[in-house]
Amino acid sequence: MVKSTSKDAQDLFRSLHSAYSATPTNLKIIDMYVVFAVFTALIQVAYMALVGSFPFNSFLSGVLSCVGTAVLAVCLRIQVNKENKEFKSHPPLGSYLEYSYRIWHQNEHLQILYSATWSSTWSSSTSSD
Amino acid sequence: MMNLSRSVALISLFLLPLLSLSFSVDNPTDRRVLVLLDDLSLKSSHSIFFSTLKSRGFDLDFKLAEDSKLALQRYGQYLYDGLIIFAPSTERFGGSLDSKAIADFVDSGRDLILSADTSASDLIRGIALECGVDFDEDSSAMVIDHSSFSVSDVDGDHTLIAADDLVKSHAILGKTKIEAPVLFRGVAHSLNPTNNLVLKVLSASPSAYSANPSSKLSSPPQLTGSAISLVSVMQARNNARVVISGSLQLFSDKLFRSGVQKAGSPNKYEKSGNEQFVTELSKWVFHERGHLKAGSLVHHRVGETDEPAIYRIKDDLEFSVEILEWSGKSWEPYVADDVQVQFYMMSPYVLKTLSTDKKGLFHTSFKVPDVYGVFQFKVEYEKLGYTTLSLSKQIPVRPYRHNEYERFIPTAYPYYGACFTTMAGFFVFSFVYLYHK
Repeated sequence: MVKSTSKDAQDLFRSLHSAYSATPTNLKIIDMYVVFAVFTALIQVAYMALVGSFPFNSFLSGVLSCVGTAVLAVCLRIQVNKENKEFKSHPPLGSYLEYSYRIWHQNEHLQILYSATWSSTWSSSTSSD
Repeated sequence: MMNLSRSVALISLFLLPLLSLSFSVDNPTDRRVLVLLDDLSLKSSHSIFFSTLKSRGFDLDFKLAEDSKLALQRYGQYLYDGLIIFAPSTERFGGSLDSKAIADFVDSGRDLILSADTSASDLIRGIALECGVDFDEDSSAMVIDHSSFSVSDVDGDHTLIAADDLVKSHAILGKTKIEAPVLFRGVAHSLNPTNNLVLKVLSASPSAYSANPSSKLSSPPQLTGSAISLVSVMQARNNARVVISGSLQLFSDKLFRSGVQKAGSPNKYEKSGNEQFVTELSKWVFHERGHLKAGSLVHHRVGETDEPAIYRIKDDLEFSVEILEWSGKSWEPYVADDVQVQFYMMSPYVLKTLSTDKKGLFHTSFKVPDVYGVFQFKVEYEKLGYTTLSLSKQIPVRPYRHNEYERFIPTAYPYYGACFTTMAGFFVFSFVYLYHK
């Protein structure tokens, strides 16, 4: 029984690997970028678990910017994927421009930088009580 | 008409100096003292005591306790600053005096010396009870001590006691140690141990007890040992001072002058400690010693001189208060090393002992704690024999404003780093994605 499940897992993994290698390079680039963004977010969560949540707003801004980047990159990947029927008419460059517009509009980076460095009174007062 | 107004002006001119003769906040020593006696011969049998008082500047007014014209107040003003009641057998005071009037007298901040004796009446016992002192219920009981009596006791019933268990207080009994024992013959009283306003100044030795000397003891006496107080004092919350003694003979010339030798002790003293004891005690009770006055509490941030309306947490501040002691004639700087200040909000967050510059200024500096709210600077000073000082000043403390934090918080460096790497990642990704062909 155990042998068969582990064999099944191995077969599954091999088939996933071979299917994934067939995806186009540009999609792989996007996937790498998503992994990078999520990884950065996870590092920050681990750091917060170690040292506590002060200053909480800085933590939030760091994590949410990474997560937002990851989400927008996934959107781009959906739009750019040729196998996706709904977006056949969209030009790939248009998708990229939309993506980068979203990133800019997200504007978190500036807002993040701003709020990450200037603590607000509410977050520090709740932690010093 | 002119004559009338001029005479009124002249009379008021004469009255003005009389008003300044009473004690006041700036001059707390009593001036006018009413002495109530139940027998005018006490004037001569206690003449040394009265003459020492007069020589210190007191204005003594001797009256019989049953005098029908007795009055402590006239038109709402008190006529006397101090009261000495040497009338242990009086059942009822004359005039408008009664135990309630005497209680009001002490409530107004004025001082009292009350002495009971072997035939103490209920009136005297009642006044003592108001002050927290409980005389022995048995009216024929006296303090008997078979091992601490005076060898000069002629009756042989060991009621003339040589007591030397004095309270250790420079304020109450002066700096000079009273070497000779104090002679005492009278009734015993006890104090409620939970009452923290009364204090035993002269206690009986552990072998003393209170019983009728002329009859045989049928049951164990109720008051025994060191629980018996011979002379007690009370300092009320308004700093009025009361001395209650169980013996009128303590103050008499006869005991002042007599020598004393305690039974079982080889030391023989030419003169008993009575005169020194009574003199020092009268100095304390009439506010010639141990009377403190405090100026206002001063606080400000380090480096500034003005008092701010609000402090911020973790500010450095300096605090000072001026305390003066009345020397009997003038205000002298008070020197002590145990005055403390609290920075208090429901409980003291900071408790510091103030250091003195020996000129009456007590100061310290500390950091405001990391808690915001409305605090009080509190100085609560209750030292044995001194007036109680209870001062407080309220001050709010605010937390940091949003722009009073550090610009870059060290613990948040990873988050700053994450933002920058995300930006760099986006930049690199864009290049790679667009030009990867």
